[in-house]
Amino acid sequence: MATKSSKSIDVFGATLTRRQFVKTGGVLAVGFSIVGASPLRGETPKAVVAKNSLDPSIASSWLEIHPDNTVTIRTGKNDFGQGSVYTAYRQIVAEELSMPFEAITTVVTGSTDQTPDGGGSFGFLNDGTPNLRKVAAYTYQALLDIASKKMGVDRSKLTVKDGVVSGGGKTISYGDLIKGQQFSLTIPVRGELTSIVGLSVEGNPPMKPVSEYTVIGKSYPSSAIQEKVTAKVLWATDVRLPGMLHGRVVHPKTLGSTLVSVGKLDKTKYPHTQVIVKGNLVGVVAPTEWEAIQAAQQVAESTKWTDWKGLPGSAKLYDHLRNESDWDSTPVMKSRATKGDAAAVLASASKKFTATYQISYMKHAPIGPTMAVGDVKPDGMVHVHTHNQNPQELRGEIAKMLGTTIDKVIVHIYAGPGHYGRSNGGNAGAEDEAVILSQAVGKPVRVQWMRADDMQWSTQSPAAFSDVELAVDDQGMLAAYQIDHYMPPMQDDRPVGAVLAGLPTMPAPDVHGDFVTSTVNNISDDWIYARVPNVIERGHGTFQVGQKVSPIAVGLRDHSMRTPAQFQQNFPRELAINEAAVLAGVDAIQFRINNLKEERAIGVLKKVRDASGWDTRPSPSPHAAAEGTEAVRGRGVSLMLRDGTYWACACHIAVTPATGAIKVEKCTLAVDPGVVINPTQLKRQVEGGAMMGISIALLEEVMTDESGVMQDDWNSYPVLTMADIPEIKVELINNPRVGSYGGGSEAANALAAPAIAAALHDATGKILRRLPLKSAYVHEALTAH
Amino acid sequence: MSTLIVNGVRQEVDVAGDTPLLYVLRNDLELTGPQFGCGLAQCGACSVLVAGKEVRSCVTTVADVAGQEITTLEGLPARWAKQKGITAEDEKHALHPVQQAWIEEQTPQCGFCQNGMMIKATELLESNPHPTVEQIKAAYTTSGVSPNLCRCGTYTAIIEAVQRAAAIMAQGR
Repeated sequence: MATKSSKSIDVFGATLTRRQFVKTGGVLAVGFSIVGASPLRGETPKAVVAKNSLDPSIASSWLEIHPDNTVTIRTGKNDFGQGSVYTAYRQIVAEELSMPFEAITTVVTGSTDQTPDGGGSFGFLNDGTPNLRKVAAYTYQALLDIASKKMGVDRSKLTVKDGVVSGGGKTISYGDLIKGQQFSLTIPVRGELTSIVGLSVEGNPPMKPVSEYTVIGKSYPSSAIQEKVTAKVLWATDVRLPGMLHGRVVHPKTLGSTLVSVGKLDKTKYPHTQVIVKGNLVGVVAPTEWEAIQAAQQVAESTKWTDWKGLPGSAKLYDHLRNESDWDSTPVMKSRATKGDAAAVLASASKKFTATYQISYMKHAPIGPTMAVGDVKPDGMVHVHTHNQNPQELRGEIAKMLGTTIDKVIVHIYAGPGHYGRSNGGNAGAEDEAVILSQAVGKPVRVQWMRADDMQWSTQSPAAFSDVELAVDDQGMLAAYQIDHYMPPMQDDRPVGAVLAGLPTMPAPDVHGDFVTSTVNNISDDWIYARVPNVIERGHGTFQVGQKVSPIAVGLRDHSMRTPAQFQQNFPRELAINEAAVLAGVDAIQFRINNLKEERAIGVLKKVRDASGWDTRPSPSPHAAAEGTEAVRGRGVSLMLRDGTYWACACHIAVTPATGAIKVEKCTLAVDPGVVINPTQLKRQVEGGAMMGISIALLEEVMTDESGVMQDDWNSYPVLTMADIPEIKVELINNPRVGSYGGGSEAANALAAPAIAAALHDATGKILRRLPLKSAYVHEALTAH
Repeated sequence: MSTLIVNGVRQEVDVAGDTPLLYVLRNDLELTGPQFGCGLAQCGACSVLVAGKEVRSCVTTVADVAGQEITTLEGLPARWAKQKGITAEDEKHALHPVQQAWIEEQTPQCGFCQNGMMIKATELLESNPHPTVEQIKAAYTTSGVSPNLCRCGTYTAIIEAVQRAAAIMAQGR
């Protein structure tokens, strides 16, 4: 093997090094180095990399081009059903490299020893520049440099199509270009690997112009779907390790109970089952799953816990939140949209109203309860096999819990049920418990939560309320708008097993937490009604309900769930805007258009108006009725800007006043993400999100007593079934002028609720400013005087 | 010892008769199509066909189904091949029309419930080759012990996939 002295070339802020010639193989390995305070250009400090992480100095972390013209990509983000890493990411990389989609043959996701960047599995498109896009763009520039040198043709004379470089009458494929050589491309990266957002690629490499896209915009199928449908995929639930035992956890009786005495186990019936107690964590470990389930039930029956009644309970929840929660310790946040003098205009206005809007606690309710296999080895290495939205953060949490370093922890990732945000801070519930039990018995232990554990011991999306005051002027325009949002924090990432066991964790959300763990309630719903002259938006934060008075520091732990915080803020805003339109006597879509400047926002509203068969008129409907057994019909609309994408939704409903039952008959969505990457995948994402949104709007409410969550199964926490789905219409607006791609998935969840609530008013003339729109609550509102 | 006939293969399993079929399929027979969703027959993630009927394997004991013909997701291609008289060699490359339709329609999101959704579709189409949308909705909500639940909200995509599967079956491909 001949070795030549290495030579470095600057590639738009990245550094390309040809290290050596190798006889066979060859790979364009793209590594990274951490950027500290130093500038992007010039010397970059070497990254400190833990063992069992991809070493950024050995380049092959993000993207490998192989001599056979195939490509492997790696991302810390996992697929939770959106399919983006298997479709959009491949399309984006193929596009920036000018290769065919099919060339991206391997997608490695999640596992902490096989992926470079970490970060939560959310915001996959990162406002148009996911890490892999920049990596691919840097790589493309490096390939042009290499080709120019090899071909003896000036860089500006080269073109690339399907991974083949042409220029000066010569052609060469990427594979041939790198064959027998090893290049290292060092790119600038910033961030903290085990944080919620992980690492991000820095700098501004030239990107392919949208006008030249050939791969983006086509509906490639997701390879993950093929594997799942044919039972070929390895789910986290399928992991079976040699010597593995089955674990179940007996969780405390209430969210504030401490252990008095552990229950008895009939050793003649379950001779091989072990009962493990660590602090207030009680677990059983057995050779078979059925034995573990039965033994856990038996132990639970005679385990004694202290009583605790520290929660307000559902009936008193909003009273508690408004009157007994501490809203003073946390700084009040003001939005950037704040302008004019809303207070003065509201004081003197004649057409105005004041109202309060409420949103319930909701469960993420994954269709499979959380599970993990923990494997603590005698040498101190810890392996966690699971399905998780932030494996690198979980790695940090497990290391902290055990008092070890992250190099001793490897998180292995597999397919699994959607978590909808619950594990984006590293854990969904079972991961740490599996490790604790494995450490106790010295063998791999698989902990599977039962449905009741998942309903009662997981985190939930917090309840919230908002106070709105607004005024319209004589021209029918919104003259002043003031909103105060109140919500407990929604990012409690403490692993609950560690909390119960009394082991170290990150602190619970507090006033002085960092940007994700603080109690601060930021304004998350971008204000888009730009013609409104007077606007005040404030966010008020407090502590989690019951957590501080729980002897075990649990209480109602909260966690971000699809469209987190923005949903809780957009529902009151959009329903209030509907009410403002009523006050102005103007059609709800037209009223919005009148108060908007942004053409894309107006565009989605017009699209949804045309596609839904919207009848333009003020609300309520001339046929509105609040009583009777005949269904009455109405329609409502909502609007949102999220992650660079504009969304509008119209819901047409039928409501039976005598029962309060709402049936959504038609749900129409218009989506303008800028560039549509994959129409089929985006359509499916939007349809799914919209259905979950209808489920949330009509059915979902966590019911608590003074001790904990009362629901323990799908009967007590119902979700939408196929019988209740509406006709759905998704209008995708491909808008290349935007020059980028916005987020496509979760916002669909948030749109239905305000549109349905507005439709209820349209149909009945009565307003219900509370989610969910359960028939009992609707009936109560319709009969109220 | 209990005798199970799963996907056409007779298997002896050394488990107590009251063991739910789901754990035996997953842990003893390594058939991991059926998933644990609730353990309460409330969601359908664990569904299998027993003598052509969709049952919830999480609450069905081994003793309940001893000696009966059980089909899991893994067994759907062979089930279709047998019904169509396809040779063993062709069968290796064949998918059940329901699986084919699920891929063509890009139906799953997370996919965890889709085992049960495909099992239910197979049960439906074997008795009703051309179901209406209302019949499809009834199959997934009122025909079984509980509705089949999809938390990701793929119901529309499931209906479209069932219709496509019906078309594929009618073409006999």
